[in-house]
Amino acid sequence: MSARAPRLRLAPYLAAARLAARDQASGGAEALGRAAFLAVLLLIFSSLWRHVPTAASGTDPTTLLWYLAITEWVFLSVPAVHLTLERDVRTGDVAYRLPRPVSYLGMRVAEAAGVAAVRLVVLAVTAGGLCLLLGGGLPAHPAGLLVALPLGVAAVLLGIVAQAAVGATAPWVEDVSPLYWVWQKAAFVLGGLIVPLHLYPEGLRRVVEWTPFAVLLNGPASAVFAPDGAATARTAGLLVGWVAVFTLVARGVHRRGLSRLGVHGG
Amino acid sequence: MSPALRASGLSKTFRVQERRGGFVGALKGLFSRPTREVRAVEGVSFSIERGERVAFVGPNGAGKSTTIKMLTGILQPSAGEAEVLGLVPWRERRALAYRIGTVFGQRSQLWWHLPPTDTFDLLAKVYDQDPRTHRERRDRLVDAFGLGALLTRPVKTLSLGERMRFEIVASLLHAPEVLLLDEPTIGLDVVAKGVIRDLVRARSAEDGCTVLLASHDTGDMEAVCDRVLVIHDGRLLLDRPVAELRRTWLRRKVVTLATAEPRVDVERPGVVVRERSPHRTVLEVDTSVTAVEAVVAAVLAATRLEDLTVEDPPMEEIVRAIYASATRAGAAGGGR
Repeated sequence: MSARAPRLRLAPYLAAARLAARDQASGGAEALGRAAFLAVLLLIFSSLWRHVPTAASGTDPTTLLWYLAITEWVFLSVPAVHLTLERDVRTGDVAYRLPRPVSYLGMRVAEAAGVAAVRLVVLAVTAGGLCLLLGGGLPAHPAGLLVALPLGVAAVLLGIVAQAAVGATAPWVEDVSPLYWVWQKAAFVLGGLIVPLHLYPEGLRRVVEWTPFAVLLNGPASAVFAPDGAATARTAGLLVGWVAVFTLVARGVHRRGLSRLGVHGG
Repeated sequence: MSPALRASGLSKTFRVQERRGGFVGALKGLFSRPTREVRAVEGVSFSIERGERVAFVGPNGAGKSTTIKMLTGILQPSAGEAEVLGLVPWRERRALAYRIGTVFGQRSQLWWHLPPTDTFDLLAKVYDQDPRTHRERRDRLVDAFGLGALLTRPVKTLSLGERMRFEIVASLLHAPEVLLLDEPTIGLDVVAKGVIRDLVRARSAEDGCTVLLASHDTGDMEAVCDRVLVIHDGRLLLDRPVAELRRTWLRRKVVTLATAEPRVDVERPGVVVRERSPHRTVLEVDTSVTAVEAVVAAVLAATRLEDLTVEDPPMEEIVRAIYASATRAGAAGGGR
């Protein structure tokens, strides 16, 4: 048998994503736990928005609830791929997954995408049902939901590659939780997890709307306020750009990390 | 034809970071950490022909796993050279991956909630196998390993021994020319160990697959391999046929007796009492002088046996004996 030249093949990554999706679906309790958490969250905020005057926000409580449902839908759908990468380094598993004719990082990202696919479906059904039930109907601009769905799926991909970049630092920091904590809190605050960015001070909004945090959460969710072709195109463009940036960062950091494992031991 | 595996002066030194104690030390550690060098493997040389089954034995921390990691391309050596099937592992890792299989005890590539057949299908994609070839090889291996009835059961419901058999099938699916096993029987009971050893040997004999088996269990070495490399403190201590090692260093067995009588005496040549406590006696038997069966018969004649175990001495003891012998012979690097 002769040595084969390395070439880019998508089939192993697609197969890994499919298998991870089946594995996630087989261990259904985890997805249901997330759905229950989302339900509690929407229950609390549906009640809150009913009692807080929202007229100044230029929208209504129902639409605000849909906004929150979409940001949480995205956020809760992103698997903790950073912890998987950290665990692989800590236990030495990374060394045993490398002698395969595929990218270790690519396979881990593909598996995370498979897990996310199941979560996206379960949480979308949960969020949609609860918004109709608790919010009393569709958002002010229902067509925005059709825009938010594909943008949300792309945002989950952004979340996966960004967290993979965080996880790739494991050979240096050993515990990636502090770095992830910074990413997570920045996403909460600068991404508009609960309050949409258009309610932020103008100066702050202009700055943060270009960041990956805002693109991750506010980008898809803000479509429910008023579907706007230009805004959608800009969000889609930013999503593609940030996915590319974090993919390159994750790959670069991972490669440097592997050489570090070689120097300092696995 | 070039050898299946060749290592020449293979060395690996790690820089290990150390942590200072105390709060001030922890603060200083944020900016700089002292490092020390650890020589995990030092000047290891050997050559393994295609189809050979070679054991790579040594105590824990001897450098077995580090050597295997270099041979699979995971680690780049600090010095020396190696080739596996004519490829330099750390430069051509992905090309080599198609041609080698790896099994690591206590590590799993099977998906926990899903049946093994799903993992096998994924591996077919990973190794770019056409579906028909994959199915034929999978069915043949599953039959040979006696796993047909378990193929569609979720992995989480399998015993450790069954899982390990599936792990080995997973590593053989792409018909590797070289199989590298690192402690494949660790944690298994005696029966499961025996099954794994027989299967690895049989598959290697049938496929002509070269085997390098790293273990600290001499039973693995005796059952599977024809040749043994002994490594200690990162250096290759011995390279001999297993039969020779058995004659020279594996003659002794440790026999542990739990008896009805508080004390039992076995006066036989080649039998030494290693430990004694009420109802428990540990004997060391030189099997070239007295067979274990004869010892057991003598004990049964004197008392009723509650329990009996027969083991090889720990690998650490065997390696110490080899090391002492090599030192005495003035050839601490003997066999290299």
